[in-house]
Amino acid sequence: MFAEIFSFAYQFADVFAFLILAAAGLAIVFGMMGVINMAHGEFIMCGAYVTVGLVHAGLPLVLAQALGTLAAGVVGVAVEWTIVRKLYKRPLDSLLATWGLSLIVTQGMLLIFGSSLAGIGTPQGSFSIGAYTFSTYRLVLFGCALAVLAVIYLVFMRTRFGIHARATMQNASIAQATGVRVGRVYALSFGLGAALAGFCGAMYAPTMTLMPTMGAAFLIESFVTVVVGGANVLLGTAPAGVVLAVVRTALNGWGGQIIGQIGMLLAVIVVIRLLPEGLSGWLARRTR
Amino acid sequence: MTLRHTLAPLALVLAGLTVAASAAEPLKVGLMEDISGDLAVIGLPKLHGSQLAVEEINKAGGVMGRPLELIHLDPQGDNARYQEFTRRLLSRDKVDVLIGGITSASREAVRPIVDRTQTPYFYTNQYEGGVCDANMISMGAIPEQQFSTLIPYMVEKFGKKVYVVAADYNFGQISSEWNRTILKELGGTVVGEEFIPLGVSQFAQTIQNIQRAKPDWILTINVGAAQDSFFEQAAAAKLNLPMGSSIKVMLGFEHKRFAPPALNRMHAAANWFEEIDTPEAADFKKRWHAKFPNEPYINDMGYNAYAALYMYKDLVEKAKSTKLADLRKVIATGQACIDAPEGKVCIDPKSQHTSHRMRLISVDDKHAVKVVKDYGTIQPYWLGQIGCDLTKKNDRKQYTPSDLPKKS
Amino acid sequence: MLKLINGSQTLGATRAFWLPFVAVVAAMLVYPVFADAYSVGNMAYLLLWVFMAMGLCLVWGYGGILSFGQTLFFGIGGYGYGVLAINLGGESATTVLALALAILASGAVAAVLGYFMIWGRIGGVFFGIVTLSSTLVLAFFLGQTAGPEWRVGEARLNGFNGMKDMAPLNVPWFGGEPLYFEGVPLYYLVVGLLLVVYLGLRILLNSRFGHVVVAVREDPQRAELLGYDVRKYQLATFVIGSMLAGLSGVLYTSWGQFITPASVGLPAASMPIVWVAFSGRSDLTATTVGSFLVLWTFQALTVHSQQAALLLMGAMLLATVMLAPQGFVIGMVQLVRGVFAPRRRREAATAMAEEGGS
Repeated sequence: MFAEIFSFAYQFADVFAFLILAAAGLAIVFGMMGVINMAHGEFIMCGAYVTVGLVHAGLPLVLAQALGTLAAGVVGVAVEWTIVRKLYKRPLDSLLATWGLSLIVTQGMLLIFGSSLAGIGTPQGSFSIGAYTFSTYRLVLFGCALAVLAVIYLVFMRTRFGIHARATMQNASIAQATGVRVGRVYALSFGLGAALAGFCGAMYAPTMTLMPTMGAAFLIESFVTVVVGGANVLLGTAPAGVVLAVVRTALNGWGGQIIGQIGMLLAVIVVIRLLPEGLSGWLARRTR
Repeated sequence: MTLRHTLAPLALVLAGLTVAASAAEPLKVGLMEDISGDLAVIGLPKLHGSQLAVEEINKAGGVMGRPLELIHLDPQGDNARYQEFTRRLLSRDKVDVLIGGITSASREAVRPIVDRTQTPYFYTNQYEGGVCDANMISMGAIPEQQFSTLIPYMVEKFGKKVYVVAADYNFGQISSEWNRTILKELGGTVVGEEFIPLGVSQFAQTIQNIQRAKPDWILTINVGAAQDSFFEQAAAAKLNLPMGSSIKVMLGFEHKRFAPPALNRMHAAANWFEEIDTPEAADFKKRWHAKFPNEPYINDMGYNAYAALYMYKDLVEKAKSTKLADLRKVIATGQACIDAPEGKVCIDPKSQHTSHRMRLISVDDKHAVKVVKDYGTIQPYWLGQIGCDLTKKNDRKQYTPSDLPKKS
Repeated sequence: MLKLINGSQTLGATRAFWLPFVAVVAAMLVYPVFADAYSVGNMAYLLLWVFMAMGLCLVWGYGGILSFGQTLFFGIGGYGYGVLAINLGGESATTVLALALAILASGAVAAVLGYFMIWGRIGGVFFGIVTLSSTLVLAFFLGQTAGPEWRVGEARLNGFNGMKDMAPLNVPWFGGEPLYFEGVPLYYLVVGLLLVVYLGLRILLNSRFGHVVVAVREDPQRAELLGYDVRKYQLATFVIGSMLAGLSGVLYTSWGQFITPASVGLPAASMPIVWVAFSGRSDLTATTVGSFLVLWTFQALTVHSQQAALLLMGAMLLATVMLAPQGFVIGMVQLVRGVFAPRRRREAATAMAEEGGS
């Protein structure tokens, strides 16, 4: 009995972790700047590839993952400075530009590194409850998802940067008028979003096959979570993760993976229709 | 001497000159292999196999004295591209033979176009079987060769309860049909069956479902890099069940790409895998690695691509012609055979598929590959059994265990 | 009505445009005389995608709504044609009926989806996301229809391996044998349709309807305040644009006697966006010419430099957005105008000076 309950909770935690880790970076970039970063998957891939490369070079896993995250963040700042900065008022153009970037990066990686990279094993062992065995690492991933949410909360609520960022999110021109260096806020926000994407890639790298196009495996889930969550990443992402994790787990259990996948996409359509501002908009209105 | 007398020998000389010229005129081989995009890791050995075969054949004098000219196009795994390039190779480059395609979808895109011509088409992949088409010669292993060996072995060694993890498209679903058919005869049961959409990479739920169902072994016919994450995740969860597959190890060389012990206890039935240890295989491997020193693995598709050109050479030389009708006459005699690095390979007249020397391999926790059983040569008997007879009629269709030819 | 072929909504109204236009059309009509069978067939193939691009230009460029759903309607048109052609038999008139019904089917689905979105006040980026999700749902759904139970009448959907064995478009012809639209006949059919659709769209865009559509794009609230029902115009635009995508789907399926879910999902869904964004979505001629150029270039690239083709596509997209956001072709047009305009201004200035002096 306990095993069944734990199993369901584990499944939920697993899907929740995937959704949060995949979506966090995209949510910040979209929520902050209204930029739809179609290259989000490539930042994930960057984190994963740097991590695996460093592990193959001999570094311990945790250090490699930290450096992978950092690498993605740095690349994010560079991309923001060269490309995204010019496209803030043009959401459709930013979509296209980041898409072009995504094509360039994936094809370039395919050309340089070939289509597959040797993987690294999943660390830590497993534990069993009842008839089931579980990989311990996936609980670590759940912990990371919670940590990411906590970090985002702390950064945006308790730091000066956070206050500037929230002010810019609400009204960029007024914020600028009060002396906030909006350009720097944008750059750091995009970098933070990219770093979170890299973190997702770094954490999932030991559990997946590595391909230049591996970002695509995260893209649908992250978009769905961001859309359902709405523009306010603080208010929306976590509830969206919970709702979608429940939906996905239930549908997977009931009808199999294809129903789960189609169900997620239909959920997007329904949510956009009924709650155009996502969960964060709905929650914000209720708390007023 | 009349004018006629001088003209006749002159005409003979000219005719002789033109014959000599066409004797050196190359035979064009149209090759469509994906060397970029997601399938590149499988496609590149196929290109290499063809290139090696062309080089060796040309060095030994070509086919009937004519050198082979390889025209390669990369469709990047896009069906529309396959259609465009097939037309281009057939109409513009006027190739004598067409080879290529990886996914079944690409093959099905090519067939309607090549069927309107008199050009032979070699499909060099293992696949779900069932294509009864006079233009196509299939060089890869098919279910009656792979599943009819693997499944009885796994049932005998590990037990009768099977859990199936399959990719959710034609190949996965048809292979599952085969599995159910064969299991029923053996008294086995499918205790669970999951069809995974392409691109899904998270398998925690699947692993739980497997543990709940308590199977004796798992049939893993998942496809694609994302779905391959299953092995790593199952190993991390210490699932540790024996696994059987028709497409792992020899096709995508997962045992080289994933960290051990992800593929521990994997079993596969293959006509070719790089670890074959016979003198012919060793020689072939040496020649391949000499030409392509950075090849990570010679997979079965690359090997089939190599063998295909030798088979084509054999057909043309026996028929003394490149016309499809003449090649098919040779096939009908049942004598279209070559000595390939796996062993002797012959084309079955009724189905135009090849017989194969099948070996069962297993992978241990250090990812070393061992031959567990040698089944000898297995004929592609199924299509002939259900009524496909290309010596009599051209069905041009693909059949499956649940979609058999209508009894007319 | 023919006067409306020229107007303020479309580039090119003077003789400087129409003379080269006639020349190009003439060249296209005599092309099969000079080119070999393969090139003609290939040209027909490249041209059949242009309808989808023109449809997207209408919806996105003129209507201002980004639809990721062109391949959704492409798929409905293509599969619809396949199902109907197989079930109705495939001789002559039945294939034409299949073509018409398939296009109407795409229109019907577009009407339903469009009504759901537009009356639900879904706009901007979210419209794109909903259409993309719908497209992916269809692609996923079709991908798992491999079993024999997935059939519409006689036609098996056949999952990823694709639907095939439908007859190509054919019409009854003199002399008993039907005329099959393949090779040269298909080329002329596509060119003919292209001309009709192109001129028809020009008339539509320069008409009152077209002006309202652009007004809605520029400022929906203002249009509404002026008394127009914005939603009806947006829906009409969406339906017409989607039906054009359906036409591309039918022609593609007829050309290859084959259609797969890969034509519906990603990355196929992104291709029309790339073509139209690159060409310049705000003008019909730019889109038509530019899309054809991109398709032709992409094919040439994949034949010769293979792996770099997609990379170059990405670079093209990025460069267009950063350097010529209004579209590459439009940018070229403006450049050309800029080169010739100073002379015209100078001439006008001299003329005015002379007039002023006298």
